[in-house]
Amino acid sequence: MRAMGGRSVADESGQIVVSGLSKSFGTVKAVDNLSFTVPAGTITGFLGPNGAGKTTTLRCLLGLIGPNGGTATIGGRAYVDLPHPSATVGALLEASSFHPARSGRNHLRVYCAVNGFPDRRADEVLDLVGLSSAAKQKVKGYSMGMRQRLGLAAALLGDPKVLVLDEPANGLDPEGIAWLRRFLRRMAEEGRTILVSSHVLSEVEQTVDNVVIINRGSLVRQGSIAELAEHQGLTVVVRGPDLDPLVAALPEQAGVSRLDGSVRVTGLTTDEVGHLAFTERVELHELATERSDLEAIFFSLTGDTGPVEHFGGEGMQR
Amino acid sequence: MIRLVGGEVRKLATTMLWLWMLLGAIAITAMFMSFVIGFDGTEGNPQPPLSTPEGQRNLFGVAGAAGVFVLILGIIAITGEFRHQTVTPTFLATPHRGRVVIAKLVTYALVGIGYGILVALFSIALALPWLSAKDIDLSLADNGIPGTIAGTIAGIAVYSVLGVGVGALIRNQIAAVVGSLVYLYVIEAFVSALPTIRDYYQYLPGGANAALTGATQPGTPLLEPWQGGLLLVAYGVVFAVAGTWFAVRRDVS
Repeated sequence: MRAMGGRSVADESGQIVVSGLSKSFGTVKAVDNLSFTVPAGTITGFLGPNGAGKTTTLRCLLGLIGPNGGTATIGGRAYVDLPHPSATVGALLEASSFHPARSGRNHLRVYCAVNGFPDRRADEVLDLVGLSSAAKQKVKGYSMGMRQRLGLAAALLGDPKVLVLDEPANGLDPEGIAWLRRFLRRMAEEGRTILVSSHVLSEVEQTVDNVVIINRGSLVRQGSIAELAEHQGLTVVVRGPDLDPLVAALPEQAGVSRLDGSVRVTGLTTDEVGHLAFTERVELHELATERSDLEAIFFSLTGDTGPVEHFGGEGMQR
Repeated sequence: MIRLVGGEVRKLATTMLWLWMLLGAIAITAMFMSFVIGFDGTEGNPQPPLSTPEGQRNLFGVAGAAGVFVLILGIIAITGEFRHQTVTPTFLATPHRGRVVIAKLVTYALVGIGYGILVALFSIALALPWLSAKDIDLSLADNGIPGTIAGTIAGIAVYSVLGVGVGALIRNQIAAVVGSLVYLYVIEAFVSALPTIRDYYQYLPGGANAALTGATQPGTPLLEPWQGGLLLVAYGVVFAVAGTWFAVRRDVS
């Protein structure tokens, strides 16, 4: 086994490049001319609502699905062309890809045999994910969280420098999600490139360096968390007894959402909103700026009104 | 490739399926042989009597029926991976999917030979004391019995390979298993029994297996044992190649 840690961030061999990737299932375009780059040694959140094409993209990257067009490479090579795929890339895809009657340890030992890794590696990765006590138990007795941990253990068997994780937080309780965050941080500190997908930004927000946001198979935004907040700018919060005339008068490009009787406007300054309210003769009780939180940015970018709509109950995004 | 075969052996050894299929193979052998010995010489029995060389070959040939269990074992070797989604880590570890199918073919050929030997040993252990109790002379070295036993072992081994081929082609486990059983026990039984078409039975997998094991089918023509064996191997290879061809192209999602 190669020693962990001490890898150079400038090492390009861990870079993931998706270029012009397209995949259709029948008439449905799951991924549509998608391009993005995951720099080596970074941890990148791959975000988008359910059905955005995240899983299809990751499966194309791993050679499980053949794209209709474009390429996806790891360190400049397609997955099938990697000389030692399991020692280069570790992947977690479905929540459960285990034989229910096989023990977790034996599941890992199968892939030790296939890849030529020593059998003790199975025990090492079980220890790494905190599953040693259940090692000899059949997988059918595992909880969802234990299955996710076993999946992570399998991904780590070859001590890969790239990790591709599809919704690893799915089915985890809050304690499990906290564990996963610490775990991913530790993996990143060891110099690995990590691409982790999620449909909930808050799951990965505190963990990732960069985000790639997709919706309906296309790239919406790529950048660091800081850039994302910067670009989206400020949110103007407006409160008043009847804001409908004001909302109707807002220009097309403004982003509008309603929450508990207030209206949140993006893309305009307080001066502009205040002026509009004056010309429309709308009574205001509050006019303030607020740095929009990332979750709101995420929803506005993916066109999903998300919890804002559900909690507010009354309005829709315009 | 040795590593891949090692992985396949480990997959098989770490669940109980191999044991259930072995018990099934032994049970069906015990049942068929018991019928042959128990009904020997009764009136209206079309089987050749056990006192004749032909009858003794038939007795050991019926152990070929155990092949259906290794066929199922071979089918599950591939369809089980799709059923439990272990095909994802399998193809991730070995992205060149043809190699996975070849490893399974090699593994299950070896496993099939193992099952065949165990079934043959069991059939000898069952036949010797029982026939001696019935005062029937039986020498394992004579009357073409070594050839029949070798053919039975070969037939069981090839059925295992055939199962892998069928599984590669039909990924749905229930469809593959039920389809194979219906084919073997309904369609082939129909073909072998219908006078106008039973001449073609010898060219079907079941007919090829019957030729290999030397089990007699009164009134139904069969190939020579070596021809049957080759034909059965050809069926296995054709299914496996076709299955691999599709497996390489199909998306795993």
